Amino acid sequence: MRYSKRLRVASLAVVLGLAAAACGSSAKTTSTTATTKGGTATTAATAGSAAGATTAGSTAGGTSSGGTTFGGKLPDCFGNPTGTVTKGSKAGIAYDTGGRGDGTFNDSAARGADAAKTGLGVTIDELEAKTGDDRNPNLTTLSGNGDNPIIAVGFLFETDLLKIAAANPKTMYGIVDDVPPGANANIFSLVFAANEGSFLVGAAAALKSKSGHIGFIGGQDIDLIHNFEAGYDAGAKAVNSKIIIESKYLGAAGDNAAWTSPDKAKEIATGWYTSGADVIYSAAGGSGNGTIDAAVAAGDGKWAIGVDSDQYLTATPAQQKHILTSMVKHVDVATYDTIRAVGQGATKGAVCTFSLANDGVGYATSGGYVDDIKAKLDGYKADIISGKIVVPAK
Amino acid sequence: MSLTQADVDLAGPPRRSAALLWSSRSSRQRILIGAALTFLLLSVVREKTGAYDLTSSGTVTATLHLALPILFAGLSGLWAERVGIVNIGIEGMMILGTWGGGFGAWKYGPWVGLLFAMIGGMIGGMIHALATVRFNVDHVISGFSINLLAAGAVRYLSAVYFVGKKGAHGGVGSVSLSPPQRGTIPEITLRFITDRANASCLSKPSGLFWVECRRWFVVSDAAGIVRGFLSQMSLATILGLGLVPITAWIMWRTRFGLRLRSSGEAPSAAESLGVKVLRLRYIAMAVSGAMAGLGGGYLAIVTNTQYKEGMTANRGYIGLATMIFGNWRPTGLLGGAALFSYSDALRLRNNKSIPALLLFVGLILLLFTVSAIMRQRWVTAYFTGGAALLFFVLYATVHRLSDDLTSAAPYIITLIVLASASQRLRPPAFSGRPYRPGDSH
Repeated sequence: MRYSKRLRVASLAVVLGLAAAACGSSAKTTSTTATTKGGTATTAATAGSAAGATTAGSTAGGTSSGGTTFGGKLPDCFGNPTGTVTKGSKAGIAYDTGGRGDGTFNDSAARGADAAKTGLGVTIDELEAKTGDDRNPNLTTLSGNGDNPIIAVGFLFETDLLKIAAANPKTMYGIVDDVPPGANANIFSLVFAANEGSFLVGAAAALKSKSGHIGFIGGQDIDLIHNFEAGYDAGAKAVNSKIIIESKYLGAAGDNAAWTSPDKAKEIATGWYTSGADVIYSAAGGSGNGTIDAAVAAGDGKWAIGVDSDQYLTATPAQQKHILTSMVKHVDVATYDTIRAVGQGATKGAVCTFSLANDGVGYATSGGYVDDIKAKLDGYKADIISGKIVVPAK
Repeated sequence: MSLTQADVDLAGPPRRSAALLWSSRSSRQRILIGAALTFLLLSVVREKTGAYDLTSSGTVTATLHLALPILFAGLSGLWAERVGIVNIGIEGMMILGTWGGGFGAWKYGPWVGLLFAMIGGMIGGMIHALATVRFNVDHVISGFSINLLAAGAVRYLSAVYFVGKKGAHGGVGSVSLSPPQRGTIPEITLRFITDRANASCLSKPSGLFWVECRRWFVVSDAAGIVRGFLSQMSLATILGLGLVPITAWIMWRTRFGLRLRSSGEAPSAAESLGVKVLRLRYIAMAVSGAMAGLGGGYLAIVTNTQYKEGMTANRGYIGLATMIFGNWRPTGLLGGAALFSYSDALRLRNNKSIPALLLFVGLILLLFTVSAIMRQRWVTAYFTGGAALLFFVLYATVHRLSDDLTSAAPYIITLIVLASASQRLRPPAFSGRPYRPGDSH
């Protein structure tokens, strides 16, 4: 009797464990970090503040940090405000779990905030959500503190932000990677045309591929990542319509392990490199590092393409030789621009798409491996901006 | 092949049935015959379906890489359960292992990293032992607490030790990432026999790889599997595979092992015979934690070049499950880990080989069914026969599986095959129950 009860308990535990493993609904609060980013987390880390700036080799103009140029033309969605930013005005940043130093999304926002501090002279108040329960109180605190704008880093803030934005109609808010439902007079949705940036790295992959065989590794099988793949495919096919493109997702929707499985990405990439593929792009958060390692192991002429930030800057020298380029998503620019626009008097919430046109997305040139094809890539870029090429979204 | 007098006596008058022939084999012979049959089936399925990845060396190498962490987790569970402690905390101990591994490999090199991984896991194991042995905390609750504690602890430790630190060869750490390691654990590739590790059939293969690329029935399959073991074989992989027979030997062939197992079956009886049950439990939990830690270290050091938060990805639970469905035995958990990782490797490398895998699993289940019918175990026969039928139907009707389904395939296949293989699970009798020395005196 006792025996069978124990067996029941044991099997229950196992079934629960398996279910957890299969669905990836891990109990750890930390894993929500990856969800927040929806696959845009990078393995590379520019920890702390604006590290990496020294190696960035950024161009002149505006404030630059981490290889990013700040202070370009504001996207039209901000309504072209004409005022000037008051020195000492306050802006708030609500980071999601992970916060400053997570090496990814939050860090990118932090770089934008730092640039705003030095470049615009604003005061930045920052709060980091230790768990999901902190999001609401953090936004409330920043709102009560008189910060304007307040930027919520990550789409998981949506529900809380809607409530708090409605309660504080005079404060402007920004939310990264999300378009909250309804008309929100005081919310800027900061979204990225990842497909456009991916188009360019797809074109780069096809131009650099000697075998006419490339690959794409996605994190979770969700629309956000399909957006990357669609752009990549379109870009590669624009160069070579007969190119073979492998595609694989590491996990189903909700499987958070998909962002943290470099070993699995490595096995996939190794298989493809062996069967002839020579460029692989991964939009799979921290798993993408496995692709880079597989390229290193596969030897000369095998390339990986990074995602989100310029992964060349934080890679080891061995890895750097195999990072062709990176699809860069400038959360920092979005953060900086929102602070600047609101400081200049923007008062009407809108959806701001950061695209090639406003340098919200782009490709990295570190390492110089795409220098020879830069003219062609910039040609595609001009065509996309002018509307001659329409990049599919999924 | 030794039919002892006792066996003959037990079996009654000799019957010339295949079932008797099978059951009269020693377990070692059964494993060998089973492996040979499995290989033959695999070759047949590969030949029939043309799914070359089924026996390619790349698949074998990938299987090994994926299997080792699960194997370590399973061994961790085995050491704990055999001494009478349910270890749900393997995942947490693995997490501590990944962190320790990342830290050690960054500061001092990969071997020290593995050592640190062991120590990290061992700390988790000792906490579990202290809670369950000393304070009689419910084993499941203590285990889950360790999982939660470990996840939080590594983030804190990373914030303190990794943020902004540079690796010896470049690369930067962060709150969820360690700086890259100093070097890698050497890999053995017998290049003269097997060709380059990253060779492709498209570019003039040589040696064993040439044979593999010929696609000859059985011969090429064997070449592929052998080459998989001989190329890119990390020393850490050899160490991990070696731990299975070593564990089996210690537990079933030594006095220490007998005492250890008796503590998990009937601790009062063991104690009355002078076995130091509590001390054994601490020792076994230290080993259990070290094994889990090694699993984590393997992930951080061998299959990756740095610690990454969340990289264990629930493998602790999967390892525990393979151990349980492997009937608390080293061979069972080895089979479970191999099957799971093999399915996973096939899925990752080539979705198109999943239907062939379904056919293969169906045939294996059919073998189980035949064996059950011969032994007149009708319930078993119905169950495995039904499962086999399900797999054949899947194979016949499904041509292209959606990604969602294929990512679930390793779980489903492992569950069904292991459940069919071990019809009567028998956990250590005292596992998971509180024990106070002297209670039954």
